[in-house]
Amino acid sequence: MKFFQQIFPALALAGLIMIVAACAQMQAIPGLPVSHPETLAAGQQVSCAECHEDQQKGTLKAFDAFSHSPAFVKNHRFYASSDERLCSSCHKSSFCNDCHTNQVEMKPSIKYGNRPDREMPHRGNYMTMHKIEGKLDPASCYRCHGRANNERCMSCHHN
Amino acid sequence: MKIPSARLMIPACFLLALPGATLSAEISVDATSIVRFEQRADTGVSKKDIIPATQFFGLDAAKLADGNLSLHLYGWGRGDLADKSYNNDQFDGSLTYGYLQYRFKAANADVRAGRFFVHEGIVNEQIDGASFRTDLPLGFGFSAFGGANVHTQNLYNENSDGKGDGNFGGRLNYRYRGVLELGVSGQYETNAPTLNNYPTVNHRTVGGDVWFSPHRSVELMGHTSYNTVTKGVAENSYLMNVKPLQHLVLTGEYNQHRERNYFYTWASFYKTLDLNNSNNRSSSIGGSASYEFTKAFEVVADYKHYTRETGNADRYGADIKMSFLDNSVRSGLGYHYLRAGKEFAIGDSPSASYHALRAYVMHDTKTYFAAVDVLDYIFKDKVYNERSAWEAMASLGYHLTPALAVSGDFSYGRNPQFTEEIKGLVRLTYNMTFDSKGGKK
Repeated sequence: MKFFQQIFPALALAGLIMIVAACAQMQAIPGLPVSHPETLAAGQQVSCAECHEDQQKGTLKAFDAFSHSPAFVKNHRFYASSDERLCSSCHKSSFCNDCHTNQVEMKPSIKYGNRPDREMPHRGNYMTMHKIEGKLDPASCYRCHGRANNERCMSCHHN
Repeated sequence: MKIPSARLMIPACFLLALPGATLSAEISVDATSIVRFEQRADTGVSKKDIIPATQFFGLDAAKLADGNLSLHLYGWGRGDLADKSYNNDQFDGSLTYGYLQYRFKAANADVRAGRFFVHEGIVNEQIDGASFRTDLPLGFGFSAFGGANVHTQNLYNENSDGKGDGNFGGRLNYRYRGVLELGVSGQYETNAPTLNNYPTVNHRTVGGDVWFSPHRSVELMGHTSYNTVTKGVAENSYLMNVKPLQHLVLTGEYNQHRERNYFYTWASFYKTLDLNNSNNRSSSIGGSASYEFTKAFEVVADYKHYTRETGNADRYGADIKMSFLDNSVRSGLGYHYLRAGKEFAIGDSPSASYHALRAYVMHDTKTYFAAVDVLDYIFKDKVYNERSAWEAMASLGYHLTPALAVSGDFSYGRNPQFTEEIKGLVRLTYNMTFDSKGGKK
Protein backbone atom coordinates (compact mmCIF):
# COMPACT_ATOMS: atom_id res chain seq x y z
CA MET A 1 0.00 0.00 0.00
CA LYS A 2 2.87 2.36 0.91
CA PHE A 3 4.55 1.61 -2.42
CA PHE A 4 1.29 2.37 -4.21
CA GLN A 5 0.99 5.69 -2.37
CA GLN A 6 4.53 6.63 -3.41
CA ILE A 7 4.04 5.93 -7.09
CA PHE A 8 0.45 7.23 -7.25
CA PRO A 9 1.39 10.82 -8.30
CA ALA A 10 3.53 9.51 -11.15
CA LEU A 11 0.79 7.13 -12.27
CA ALA A 12 -1.82 9.89 -12.08
CA LEU A 13 0.34 12.24 -14.16
CA ALA A 14 1.02 9.56 -16.77
CA GLY A 15 -2.68 8.80 -16.94
CA LEU A 16 -3.55 12.47 -17.36
CA ILE A 17 -1.06 12.93 -20.17
CA MET A 18 -2.39 9.84 -21.88
CA ILE A 19 -5.97 11.05 -21.60
CA VAL A 20 -5.17 14.51 -22.99
CA ALA A 21 -3.32 12.96 -25.94
CA ALA A 22 -6.13 10.51 -26.51
CA CYS A 23 -8.80 13.20 -26.51
CA ALA A 24 -7.32 14.61 -29.69
CA GLN A 25 -8.11 11.35 -31.49
CA MET A 26 -11.46 10.66 -29.85
CA GLN A 27 -13.64 11.90 -32.70
CA ALA A 28 -12.42 9.09 -34.93
CA ILE A 29 -13.51 6.33 -32.55
CA PRO A 30 -16.96 5.01 -33.50
CA GLY A 31 -19.74 4.69 -30.93
CA LEU A 32 -22.60 2.25 -30.51
CA PRO A 33 -26.09 3.45 -31.48
CA VAL A 34 -28.24 4.77 -28.65
CA SER A 35 -30.84 2.10 -29.24
CA HIS A 36 -31.34 -0.94 -31.43
CA PRO A 37 -33.00 0.21 -34.67
CA GLU A 38 -35.39 -2.76 -34.85
CA THR A 39 -37.95 -3.87 -32.31
CA LEU A 40 -36.96 -7.27 -30.96
CA ALA A 41 -39.62 -9.88 -30.25
CA ALA A 42 -40.53 -10.29 -26.60
CA GLY A 43 -40.13 -13.76 -25.16
CA GLN A 44 -37.73 -15.02 -27.80
CA GLN A 45 -34.07 -15.84 -27.17
CA VAL A 46 -32.38 -13.14 -29.23
CA SER A 47 -29.80 -14.42 -31.68
CA CYS A 48 -27.60 -11.48 -32.65
CA ALA A 49 -25.82 -13.60 -35.27
CA GLU A 50 -29.01 -13.85 -37.32
CA CYS A 51 -28.46 -10.32 -38.61
CA HIS A 52 -24.93 -9.52 -37.49
CA GLU A 53 -22.98 -12.52 -38.70
CA ASP A 54 -19.30 -11.75 -39.31
CA GLN A 55 -19.80 -8.09 -38.47
CA GLN A 56 -17.07 -7.84 -35.90
CA LYS A 57 -15.42 -4.41 -36.36
CA GLY A 58 -12.54 -2.71 -34.61
CA THR A 59 -12.44 -3.63 -30.94
CA LEU A 60 -16.07 -4.74 -30.83
CA LYS A 61 -16.56 -8.28 -29.68
CA ALA A 62 -18.25 -10.64 -32.14
CA PHE A 63 -22.01 -10.08 -31.96
CA ASP A 64 -22.61 -13.80 -31.63
CA ALA A 65 -21.04 -13.63 -28.16
CA PHE A 66 -24.12 -11.68 -27.06
CA SER A 67 -26.74 -14.04 -28.49
CA HIS A 68 -29.10 -14.78 -25.63
CA SER A 69 -28.52 -18.50 -25.35
CA PRO A 70 -29.40 -20.18 -22.03
CA ALA A 71 -25.69 -19.99 -21.13
CA PHE A 72 -25.62 -16.26 -21.84
CA VAL A 73 -28.75 -15.57 -19.79
CA LYS A 74 -27.45 -17.58 -16.84
CA ASN A 75 -24.01 -15.96 -16.94
CA HIS A 76 -24.95 -12.47 -18.14
CA ARG A 77 -23.08 -10.88 -15.22
CA PHE A 78 -19.77 -11.46 -17.01
CA TYR A 79 -20.97 -9.57 -20.10
CA ALA A 80 -22.72 -6.77 -18.20
CA SER A 81 -19.58 -5.95 -16.21
CA SER A 82 -17.65 -4.96 -19.34
CA ASP A 83 -20.31 -4.24 -21.97
CA GLU A 84 -23.07 -2.41 -20.14
CA ARG A 85 -23.27 0.14 -22.99
CA LEU A 86 -24.08 -2.61 -25.47
CA CYS A 87 -26.75 -4.05 -23.12
CA SER A 88 -28.29 -0.60 -22.81
CA SER A 89 -28.88 -0.34 -26.55
CA CYS A 90 -31.75 -2.83 -26.09
CA HIS A 91 -32.51 -2.83 -22.34
CA LYS A 92 -33.55 0.01 -20.10
CA SER A 93 -31.81 0.12 -16.75
CA SER A 94 -35.12 -0.86 -15.12
CA PHE A 95 -34.98 -4.20 -16.95
CA CYS A 96 -31.86 -5.00 -14.90
CA ASN A 97 -33.13 -3.33 -11.74
CA ASP A 98 -36.22 -5.50 -11.47
CA CYS A 99 -33.78 -7.97 -9.91
CA HIS A 100 -30.57 -6.04 -9.25
CA THR A 101 -31.56 -3.15 -7.04
CA ASN A 102 -31.06 -1.48 -3.72
CA GLN A 103 -34.51 -2.03 -2.29
CA VAL A 104 -36.86 -4.47 -3.96
CA GLU A 105 -40.57 -4.20 -3.23
CA MET A 106 -41.63 -7.64 -4.36
CA LYS A 107 -40.04 -10.66 -5.92
CA PRO A 108 -39.66 -10.12 -9.67
CA SER A 109 -41.49 -13.40 -10.25
CA ILE A 110 -44.55 -11.87 -8.51
CA LYS A 111 -44.31 -8.57 -10.37
CA TYR A 112 -44.12 -10.53 -13.61
CA GLY A 113 -46.32 -13.48 -12.65
CA ASN A 114 -47.80 -13.30 -16.15
CA ARG A 115 -44.36 -14.00 -17.67
CA PRO A 116 -43.23 -17.43 -16.40
CA ASP A 117 -40.99 -17.72 -19.48
CA ARG A 118 -38.61 -15.08 -18.12
CA GLU A 119 -35.67 -16.15 -15.97
CA MET A 120 -36.35 -14.82 -12.47
CA PRO A 121 -34.75 -15.64 -9.14
CA HIS A 122 -36.50 -17.14 -6.11
CA ARG A 123 -39.59 -18.55 -7.76
CA GLY A 124 -42.04 -20.47 -5.61
CA ASN A 125 -41.58 -20.79 -1.87
CA TYR A 126 -38.00 -19.55 -1.66
CA MET A 127 -38.52 -18.57 1.98
CA THR A 128 -38.09 -22.26 2.79
CA MET A 129 -35.51 -23.06 0.17
CA HIS A 130 -33.11 -20.25 1.05
CA LYS A 131 -32.30 -22.07 4.27
CA ILE A 132 -30.62 -24.74 2.16
CA GLU A 133 -29.31 -22.62 -0.70
CA GLY A 134 -27.82 -19.98 1.59
CA LYS A 135 -25.69 -22.55 3.37
CA LEU A 136 -24.75 -24.23 0.13
CA ASP A 137 -23.59 -21.16 -1.79
CA PRO A 138 -23.61 -17.96 0.29
CA ALA A 139 -21.77 -16.09 -2.48
CA SER A 140 -24.86 -16.40 -4.68
CA CYS A 141 -26.82 -14.54 -1.96
CA TYR A 142 -24.10 -11.97 -1.36
CA ARG A 143 -23.94 -10.83 -4.99
CA CYS A 144 -27.42 -9.30 -4.71
CA HIS A 145 -28.10 -9.06 -0.97
CA GLY A 146 -24.67 -8.41 0.52
CA ARG A 147 -24.43 -4.65 0.32
CA ALA A 148 -27.86 -3.79 -1.05
CA ASN A 149 -31.38 -5.10 -1.25
CA ASN A 150 -30.98 -6.65 2.20
CA GLU A 151 -33.93 -5.32 4.16
CA ARG A 152 -35.71 -8.66 4.13
CA CYS A 153 -32.53 -10.49 5.14
CA MET A 154 -32.04 -8.28 8.17
CA SER A 155 -35.54 -8.83 9.50
CA CYS A 156 -34.27 -12.25 10.69
CA HIS A 157 -30.47 -12.31 10.28
CA HIS A 158 -29.08 -9.97 12.93
CA ASN A 159 -25.60 -11.44 13.15
CA MET B 1 -43.34 6.57 5.80
CA LYS B 2 -39.65 6.94 5.30
CA ILE B 3 -38.59 10.52 4.79
CA PRO B 4 -36.34 10.87 1.75
CA SER B 5 -32.88 11.71 2.96
CA ALA B 6 -30.78 14.64 1.93
CA ARG B 7 -29.04 12.35 -0.54
CA LEU B 8 -32.11 12.52 -2.73
CA MET B 9 -31.43 16.21 -3.16
CA ILE B 10 -28.57 15.42 -5.53
CA PRO B 11 -30.65 13.64 -8.18
CA ALA B 12 -33.53 16.06 -7.51
CA CYS B 13 -31.30 19.04 -8.28
CA PHE B 14 -30.29 17.49 -11.59
CA LEU B 15 -33.91 16.93 -12.47
CA LEU B 16 -34.74 20.55 -11.72
CA ALA B 17 -31.91 21.54 -13.99
CA LEU B 18 -33.62 19.90 -16.96
CA PRO B 19 -33.73 22.15 -19.98
CA GLY B 20 -37.17 23.41 -20.81
CA ALA B 21 -36.91 22.70 -24.52
CA THR B 22 -38.09 19.09 -24.66
CA LEU B 23 -40.47 19.33 -27.60
CA SER B 24 -38.45 16.96 -29.78
CA ALA B 25 -37.81 14.51 -26.96
CA GLU B 26 -38.58 10.80 -27.26
CA ILE B 27 -40.40 9.83 -24.11
CA SER B 28 -41.12 6.39 -22.77
CA VAL B 29 -43.30 5.72 -19.74
CA ASP B 30 -43.67 2.47 -17.81
CA ALA B 31 -46.20 2.31 -15.01
CA THR B 32 -47.34 -0.80 -13.20
CA SER B 33 -49.92 -0.73 -10.41
CA ILE B 34 -50.22 -3.89 -8.36
CA VAL B 35 -52.60 -4.61 -5.50
CA ARG B 36 -51.76 -7.88 -3.77
CA PHE B 37 -54.01 -9.97 -1.58
CA GLU B 38 -52.27 -12.50 0.62
CA GLN B 39 -53.34 -14.69 3.49
CA ARG B 40 -50.44 -16.13 5.40
CA ALA B 41 -50.81 -18.92 7.93
CA ASP B 42 -47.42 -19.07 9.57
CA THR B 43 -46.74 -22.15 11.72
CA GLY B 44 -47.96 -21.42 15.27
CA VAL B 45 -49.03 -17.85 14.47
CA SER B 46 -52.47 -16.47 13.65
CA LYS B 47 -53.40 -15.76 10.05
CA LYS B 48 -52.44 -12.42 8.52
CA ASP B 49 -54.32 -10.61 5.79
CA ILE B 50 -51.98 -8.53 3.66
CA ILE B 51 -53.13 -6.03 1.02
CA PRO B 52 -50.21 -3.92 -0.21
CA ALA B 53 -50.84 -1.53 -3.10
CA THR B 54 -47.68 -0.76 -5.07
CA GLN B 55 -47.03 1.70 -7.87
CA PHE B 56 -43.94 1.26 -10.03
CA PHE B 57 -43.12 4.17 -12.31
CA GLY B 58 -40.42 4.65 -14.92
CA LEU B 59 -39.74 7.54 -17.27
CA ASP B 60 -37.10 7.78 -19.98
CA ALA B 61 -36.79 10.98 -21.99
CA ALA B 62 -34.21 10.95 -24.79
CA LYS B 63 -33.06 13.58 -27.28
CA LEU B 64 -33.26 16.43 -24.81
CA ALA B 65 -31.41 19.73 -25.31
CA ASP B 66 -28.97 19.21 -28.22
CA GLY B 67 -30.22 15.66 -28.75
CA ASN B 68 -27.54 13.89 -26.76
CA LEU B 69 -29.01 14.42 -23.31
CA SER B 70 -31.43 11.97 -21.72
CA LEU B 71 -33.24 11.57 -18.42
CA HIS B 72 -33.90 8.23 -16.75
CA LEU B 73 -36.13 7.72 -13.70
CA TYR B 74 -37.45 4.62 -11.96
CA GLY B 75 -38.92 3.98 -8.53
CA TRP B 76 -41.82 2.62 -6.57
CA GLY B 77 -44.12 3.44 -3.67
CA ARG B 78 -46.26 1.17 -1.53
CA GLY B 79 -49.07 1.49 0.98
CA ASP B 80 -50.32 -1.39 3.13
CA LEU B 81 -54.11 -1.41 3.12
CA ALA B 82 -54.41 -4.09 5.84
CA ASP B 83 -51.76 -5.84 8.00
CA LYS B 84 -48.22 -4.68 7.39
CA SER B 85 -46.63 -6.64 4.60
CA TYR B 86 -43.22 -7.25 6.14
CA ASN B 87 -41.64 -4.37 8.03
CA ASN B 88 -42.79 -1.62 10.38
CA ASP B 89 -43.62 0.84 7.64
CA GLN B 90 -47.24 1.18 6.53
CA PHE B 91 -45.93 3.17 3.57
CA ASP B 92 -42.61 2.75 1.85
CA GLY B 93 -40.90 3.74 -1.34
CA SER B 94 -37.61 3.90 -3.18
CA LEU B 95 -36.03 5.89 -5.96
CA THR B 96 -34.21 3.09 -7.76
CA TYR B 97 -32.45 5.47 -10.12
CA GLY B 98 -32.80 9.00 -11.39
CA TYR B 99 -30.06 10.45 -13.55
CA LEU B 100 -29.23 12.63 -16.49
CA GLN B 101 -26.98 11.17 -19.14
CA TYR B 102 -25.08 13.00 -21.83
CA ARG B 103 -23.86 10.73 -24.63
CA PHE B 104 -21.08 12.02 -26.83
CA LYS B 105 -21.35 11.10 -30.47
CA ALA B 106 -18.03 9.28 -30.61
CA ALA B 107 -16.08 6.77 -28.56
CA ASN B 108 -19.06 5.51 -26.54
CA ALA B 109 -18.35 8.35 -24.16
CA ASP B 110 -20.96 9.46 -21.68
CA VAL B 111 -21.41 11.38 -18.47
CA ARG B 112 -24.05 10.49 -15.89
CA ALA B 113 -25.16 12.54 -12.93
CA GLY B 114 -27.74 11.66 -10.31
CA ARG B 115 -28.58 8.29 -8.76
CA PHE B 116 -27.47 5.28 -10.77
CA PHE B 117 -25.84 1.86 -10.62
CA VAL B 118 -22.23 1.24 -11.56
CA HIS B 119 -21.26 -2.09 -13.13
CA GLU B 120 -17.66 -1.93 -14.20
CA GLY B 121 -15.39 -4.94 -13.89
CA ILE B 122 -15.56 -6.14 -10.29
CA VAL B 123 -17.37 -2.98 -9.18
CA ASN B 124 -21.09 -3.12 -8.40
CA GLU B 125 -22.28 -0.02 -6.56
CA GLN B 126 -25.22 2.37 -6.38
CA ILE B 127 -24.34 6.01 -5.83
CA ASP B 128 -25.71 9.53 -5.83
CA GLY B 129 -22.99 11.20 -7.84
CA ALA B 130 -21.40 11.32 -11.26
CA SER B 131 -19.62 9.00 -13.65
CA PHE B 132 -17.73 9.27 -16.90
CA ARG B 133 -16.64 6.64 -19.39
CA THR B 134 -15.06 6.62 -22.82
CA ASP B 135 -13.21 4.47 -25.27
CA LEU B 136 -9.69 5.65 -25.93
CA PRO B 137 -7.37 5.20 -28.92
CA LEU B 138 -5.34 2.03 -29.35
CA GLY B 139 -8.07 -0.13 -27.84
CA PHE B 140 -8.04 1.38 -24.37
CA GLY B 141 -11.09 2.43 -22.38
CA PHE B 142 -11.59 4.31 -19.17
CA SER B 143 -14.39 4.86 -16.69
CA ALA B 144 -14.60 6.62 -13.34
CA PHE B 145 -17.31 7.31 -10.80
CA GLY B 146 -17.64 9.11 -7.50
CA GLY B 147 -20.30 10.24 -5.10
CA ALA B 148 -22.30 9.40 -2.01
CA ASN B 149 -23.25 5.82 -1.25
CA VAL B 150 -26.94 5.05 -1.41
CA HIS B 151 -27.54 3.70 2.06
CA THR B 152 -29.76 0.74 2.81
CA GLN B 153 -31.71 -0.41 5.86
CA ASN B 154 -29.99 0.24 9.18
CA LEU B 155 -28.38 -2.78 10.78
CA TYR B 156 -30.25 -4.29 13.71
CA ASN B 157 -30.01 -2.01 16.77
CA GLU B 158 -27.76 0.42 14.88
CA ASN B 159 -28.26 3.86 13.37
CA SER B 160 -26.37 2.98 10.23
CA ASP B 161 -26.16 0.35 7.52
CA GLY B 162 -22.42 0.09 8.13
CA LYS B 163 -21.42 1.69 4.84
CA GLY B 164 -19.14 4.67 4.52
CA ASP B 165 -20.68 7.81 3.04
CA GLY B 166 -18.46 8.28 -0.02
CA ASN B 167 -17.53 5.87 -2.76
CA PHE B 168 -15.37 6.28 -5.83
CA GLY B 169 -13.52 4.14 -8.33
CA GLY B 170 -13.32 3.12 -11.93
CA ARG B 171 -12.00 0.76 -14.56
CA LEU B 172 -9.27 0.85 -17.16
CA ASN B 173 -9.50 -1.65 -19.96
CA TYR B 174 -7.69 -2.70 -23.08
CA ARG B 175 -9.16 -4.47 -26.11
CA TYR B 176 -7.31 -6.12 -28.90
CA ARG B 177 -9.59 -6.40 -31.92
CA GLY B 178 -12.50 -8.68 -31.09
CA VAL B 179 -10.22 -11.20 -29.48
CA LEU B 180 -9.10 -9.99 -26.07
CA GLU B 181 -10.21 -7.63 -23.35
CA LEU B 182 -8.30 -7.04 -20.14
CA GLY B 183 -9.62 -4.82 -17.38
CA VAL B 184 -8.43 -3.44 -14.06
CA SER B 185 -11.04 -1.99 -11.74
CA GLY B 186 -11.48 -0.95 -8.15
CA GLN B 187 -13.47 1.08 -5.70
CA TYR B 188 -12.66 2.91 -2.49
CA GLU B 189 -15.32 3.59 0.11
CA THR B 190 -14.68 6.21 2.75
CA ASN B 191 -14.33 5.06 6.34
CA ALA B 192 -17.22 3.00 7.64
CA PRO B 193 -19.05 4.29 10.74
CA THR B 194 -18.30 2.83 14.14
CA LEU B 195 -20.99 0.36 15.14
CA ASN B 196 -22.09 -0.88 18.57
CA ASN B 197 -22.82 -4.52 17.81
CA TYR B 198 -20.85 -5.21 14.66
CA PRO B 199 -17.21 -4.79 13.67
CA THR B 200 -16.32 -1.68 11.68
CA VAL B 201 -15.46 -2.89 8.19
CA ASN B 202 -14.30 -0.82 5.26
CA HIS B 203 -15.24 -1.72 1.70
CA ARG B 204 -12.25 -1.38 -0.62
CA THR B 205 -11.52 -3.75 -3.47
CA VAL B 206 -9.46 -3.99 -6.63
CA GLY B 207 -9.49 -6.64 -9.31
CA GLY B 208 -8.90 -7.71 -12.84
CA ASP B 209 -11.15 -9.14 -15.51
CA VAL B 210 -10.52 -10.92 -18.78
CA TRP B 211 -12.44 -11.88 -21.92
CA PHE B 212 -10.57 -13.95 -24.45
CA SER B 213 -11.96 -15.40 -27.65
CA PRO B 214 -9.17 -16.81 -29.85
CA HIS B 215 -11.85 -18.28 -32.13
CA ARG B 216 -15.48 -17.25 -32.45
CA SER B 217 -16.53 -20.64 -31.06
CA VAL B 218 -14.53 -20.27 -27.85
CA GLU B 219 -14.85 -17.67 -25.07
CA LEU B 220 -13.03 -17.51 -21.75
CA MET B 221 -14.06 -14.82 -19.30
CA GLY B 222 -13.94 -14.06 -15.63
CA HIS B 223 -12.50 -11.95 -12.89
CA THR B 224 -10.41 -12.03 -9.75
CA SER B 225 -10.98 -9.55 -6.94
CA TYR B 226 -8.73 -8.58 -4.05
CA ASN B 227 -9.81 -7.07 -0.75
CA THR B 228 -7.30 -4.34 0.08
CA VAL B 229 -8.53 -4.13 3.68
CA THR B 230 -8.09 -7.80 4.59
CA LYS B 231 -5.20 -8.04 2.14
CA GLY B 232 -6.32 -11.20 0.44
CA VAL B 233 -7.87 -12.55 -2.75
CA ALA B 234 -11.65 -12.44 -2.38
CA GLU B 235 -13.06 -14.10 -5.48
CA ASN B 236 -12.03 -16.07 -8.53
CA SER B 237 -14.89 -16.53 -10.97
CA TYR B 238 -14.30 -17.87 -14.49
CA LEU B 239 -16.44 -19.18 -17.30
CA MET B 240 -15.63 -20.91 -20.57
CA ASN B 241 -18.10 -21.19 -23.47
CA VAL B 242 -17.47 -23.50 -26.39
CA LYS B 243 -19.74 -23.69 -29.43
CA PRO B 244 -18.63 -26.78 -31.39
CA LEU B 245 -21.83 -26.67 -33.47
CA GLN B 246 -23.97 -23.70 -34.47
CA HIS B 247 -26.73 -24.44 -31.97
CA LEU B 248 -24.76 -26.28 -29.29
CA VAL B 249 -23.22 -24.34 -26.38
CA LEU B 250 -21.03 -26.09 -23.82
CA THR B 251 -20.00 -24.19 -20.69
CA GLY B 252 -17.62 -24.82 -17.84
CA GLU B 253 -17.41 -22.58 -14.78
CA TYR B 254 -15.28 -22.29 -11.67
CA ASN B 255 -15.96 -20.03 -8.69
CA GLN B 256 -13.91 -19.76 -5.52
CA HIS B 257 -14.45 -17.45 -2.57
CA ARG B 258 -12.16 -16.85 0.37
CA GLU B 259 -14.97 -16.05 2.71
CA ARG B 260 -13.37 -13.49 5.05
CA ASN B 261 -12.12 -11.45 2.10
CA TYR B 262 -15.25 -11.76 -0.05
CA PHE B 263 -17.98 -11.40 2.59
CA TYR B 264 -16.03 -8.96 4.77
CA THR B 265 -18.61 -6.16 4.66
CA TRP B 266 -21.62 -8.46 5.11
CA ALA B 267 -22.17 -7.29 8.68
CA SER B 268 -25.41 -9.21 9.25
CA PHE B 269 -23.58 -12.48 8.67
CA TYR B 270 -20.26 -11.66 10.30
CA LYS B 271 -20.69 -14.26 13.04
CA THR B 272 -22.78 -16.73 11.04
CA LEU B 273 -20.05 -17.00 8.42
CA ASP B 274 -17.24 -16.82 10.99
CA LEU B 275 -15.55 -13.99 9.12
CA ASN B 276 -12.73 -13.68 11.63
CA ASN B 277 -11.49 -17.01 10.30
CA SER B 278 -9.36 -16.38 7.23
CA ASN B 279 -9.17 -20.07 6.29
CA ASN B 280 -12.77 -20.63 5.22
CA ARG B 281 -13.23 -21.11 1.50
CA SER B 282 -16.13 -22.09 -0.66
CA SER B 283 -16.07 -23.11 -4.28
CA SER B 284 -18.20 -24.48 -7.05
CA ILE B 285 -17.38 -26.10 -10.35
CA GLY B 286 -19.83 -27.10 -13.02
CA GLY B 287 -20.90 -27.16 -16.60
CA SER B 288 -23.86 -27.15 -18.91
CA ALA B 289 -24.82 -28.15 -22.43
CA SER B 290 -27.62 -26.43 -24.31
CA TYR B 291 -28.88 -27.35 -27.75
CA GLU B 292 -31.39 -25.47 -29.84
CA PHE B 293 -33.03 -28.15 -31.99
CA THR B 294 -35.25 -25.51 -33.60
CA LYS B 295 -36.21 -21.95 -32.71
CA ALA B 296 -39.14 -23.55 -30.89
CA PHE B 297 -37.41 -26.36 -29.01
CA GLU B 298 -34.38 -26.06 -26.75
CA VAL B 299 -32.84 -28.40 -24.16
CA VAL B 300 -30.35 -27.54 -21.40
CA ALA B 301 -28.61 -30.02 -19.10
CA ASP B 302 -26.40 -28.84 -16.24
CA TYR B 303 -24.28 -30.07 -13.35
CA LYS B 304 -22.62 -28.25 -10.44
CA HIS B 305 -20.50 -29.43 -7.52
CA TYR B 306 -20.34 -27.26 -4.39
CA THR B 307 -17.62 -27.41 -1.77
CA ARG B 308 -17.62 -25.67 1.61
CA GLU B 309 -15.65 -26.29 4.78
CA THR B 310 -18.68 -28.07 6.21
CA GLY B 311 -19.27 -30.45 3.31
CA ASN B 312 -20.07 -30.77 -0.36
CA ALA B 313 -23.09 -31.16 -2.58
CA ASP B 314 -24.09 -31.81 -6.18
CA ARG B 315 -26.89 -30.46 -8.32
CA TYR B 316 -27.87 -31.76 -11.73
CA GLY B 317 -30.85 -31.64 -14.01
CA ALA B 318 -32.32 -30.42 -17.25
CA ASP B 319 -34.75 -27.85 -18.67
CA ILE B 320 -36.77 -27.92 -21.85
CA LYS B 321 -38.22 -24.83 -23.52
CA MET B 322 -40.82 -25.01 -26.25
CA SER B 323 -42.89 -22.53 -28.22
CA PHE B 324 -45.84 -22.94 -30.56
CA LEU B 325 -48.14 -20.86 -32.76
CA ASP B 326 -45.52 -18.38 -33.87
CA ASN B 327 -44.13 -18.00 -30.33
CA SER B 328 -47.49 -16.92 -28.89
CA VAL B 329 -47.57 -20.09 -26.77
CA ARG B 330 -44.45 -20.68 -24.70
CA SER B 331 -43.86 -23.49 -22.24
CA GLY B 332 -41.14 -25.08 -20.20
CA LEU B 333 -40.36 -28.16 -18.13
CA GLY B 334 -37.57 -28.53 -15.62
CA TYR B 335 -36.17 -31.10 -13.23
CA HIS B 336 -33.19 -30.77 -10.89
CA TYR B 337 -31.94 -32.84 -8.00
CA LEU B 338 -29.79 -31.47 -5.20
CA ARG B 339 -27.77 -34.01 -3.26
CA ALA B 340 -26.75 -32.36 -0.01
CA GLY B 341 -26.11 -33.69 3.46
CA LYS B 342 -27.29 -32.78 6.95
CA GLU B 343 -24.79 -29.91 7.16
CA PHE B 344 -26.96 -27.94 4.70
CA ALA B 345 -30.32 -29.15 6.02
CA ILE B 346 -33.21 -27.19 7.52
CA GLY B 347 -33.76 -27.81 11.21
CA ASP B 348 -33.28 -31.42 12.29
CA SER B 349 -33.80 -32.92 8.86
CA PRO B 350 -31.19 -35.65 8.19
CA SER B 351 -30.43 -34.28 4.71
CA ALA B 352 -30.91 -31.24 2.50
CA SER B 353 -31.49 -33.23 -0.66
CA TYR B 354 -34.50 -32.36 -2.73
CA HIS B 355 -36.08 -32.72 -6.17
CA ALA B 356 -37.17 -29.51 -7.94
CA LEU B 357 -39.83 -29.81 -10.63
CA ARG B 358 -41.31 -27.01 -12.68
CA ALA B 359 -43.79 -26.76 -15.53
CA TYR B 360 -45.28 -23.65 -17.10
CA VAL B 361 -47.24 -22.63 -20.14
CA MET B 362 -48.31 -19.18 -21.28
CA HIS B 363 -50.30 -17.75 -24.15
CA ASP B 364 -49.92 -14.14 -25.27
CA THR B 365 -52.20 -12.65 -27.93
CA LYS B 366 -53.04 -9.10 -28.96
CA THR B 367 -56.19 -9.25 -26.85
CA TYR B 368 -55.66 -11.56 -23.88
CA PHE B 369 -52.81 -13.36 -22.16
CA ALA B 370 -52.77 -16.26 -19.74
CA ALA B 371 -50.21 -18.33 -17.84
CA VAL B 372 -50.01 -21.31 -15.51
CA ASP B 373 -46.88 -22.07 -13.50
CA VAL B 374 -46.36 -24.99 -11.09
CA LEU B 375 -43.24 -25.43 -8.97
CA ASP B 376 -42.67 -28.26 -6.51
CA TYR B 377 -39.70 -28.92 -4.21
CA ILE B 378 -39.93 -32.49 -2.92
CA PHE B 379 -37.65 -33.11 0.06
CA LYS B 380 -35.84 -36.41 0.41
CA ASP B 381 -36.48 -36.17 4.16
CA LYS B 382 -39.39 -34.25 5.62
CA VAL B 383 -38.83 -30.65 6.71
CA TYR B 384 -40.93 -29.64 9.75
CA ASN B 385 -43.10 -32.66 8.97
CA GLU B 386 -43.82 -31.47 5.42
CA ARG B 387 -42.79 -33.60 2.47
CA SER B 388 -42.72 -30.74 -0.05
CA ALA B 389 -42.96 -27.02 -0.73
CA TRP B 390 -45.15 -26.38 -3.76
CA GLU B 391 -46.91 -23.51 -5.41
CA ALA B 392 -49.30 -23.29 -8.35
CA MET B 393 -50.01 -19.95 -9.99
CA ALA B 394 -52.51 -18.94 -12.66
CA SER B 395 -52.56 -15.57 -14.41
CA LEU B 396 -55.12 -14.07 -16.79
CA GLY B 397 -54.98 -10.67 -18.45
CA TYR B 398 -56.52 -8.49 -21.14
CA HIS B 399 -54.96 -5.79 -23.34
CA LEU B 400 -57.35 -2.86 -23.05
CA THR B 401 -55.19 -1.01 -25.60
CA PRO B 402 -51.80 -1.99 -27.08
CA ALA B 403 -50.16 -0.04 -24.22
CA LEU B 404 -52.56 -0.71 -21.36
CA ALA B 405 -53.29 -4.11 -19.85
CA VAL B 406 -55.11 -5.40 -16.80
CA SER B 407 -54.33 -8.81 -15.34
CA GLY B 408 -54.86 -10.91 -12.25
CA ASP B 409 -52.82 -13.69 -10.66
CA PHE B 410 -53.89 -16.31 -8.16
CA SER B 411 -51.62 -18.76 -6.40
CA TYR B 412 -51.95 -21.45 -3.78
CA GLY B 413 -49.22 -23.40 -2.11
CA ARG B 414 -48.23 -25.51 0.88
CA ASN B 415 -44.79 -25.46 2.45
CA PRO B 416 -42.97 -25.99 5.74
CA GLN B 417 -42.70 -22.24 6.33
CA PHE B 418 -46.32 -21.12 6.17
CA THR B 419 -48.07 -24.52 5.88
CA GLU B 420 -50.58 -22.81 3.57
CA GLU B 421 -50.17 -19.75 1.39
CA ILE B 422 -52.89 -18.12 -0.68
CA LYS B 423 -51.99 -15.12 -2.82
CA GLY B 424 -53.72 -13.03 -5.41
CA LEU B 425 -53.06 -9.78 -7.17
CA VAL B 426 -54.54 -7.35 -9.64
CA ARG B 427 -52.11 -5.67 -12.02
CA LEU B 428 -52.52 -2.64 -14.29
CA THR B 429 -49.65 -2.16 -16.71
CA TYR B 430 -48.99 0.83 -18.95
CA ASN B 431 -46.01 0.79 -21.31
CA MET B 432 -45.89 3.58 -23.82
CA THR B 433 -43.03 4.77 -25.99
CA PHE B 434 -43.64 8.03 -27.78
CA ASP B 435 -41.22 7.43 -30.62
CA SER B 436 -41.07 5.45 -33.81
CA LYS B 437 -37.93 3.41 -33.27
CA GLY B 438 -37.17 -0.02 -31.92
CA GLY B 439 -36.98 1.26 -28.41
CA LYS B 440 -35.88 -0.67 -25.38
CA LYS B 441 -37.46 -3.33 -23.22
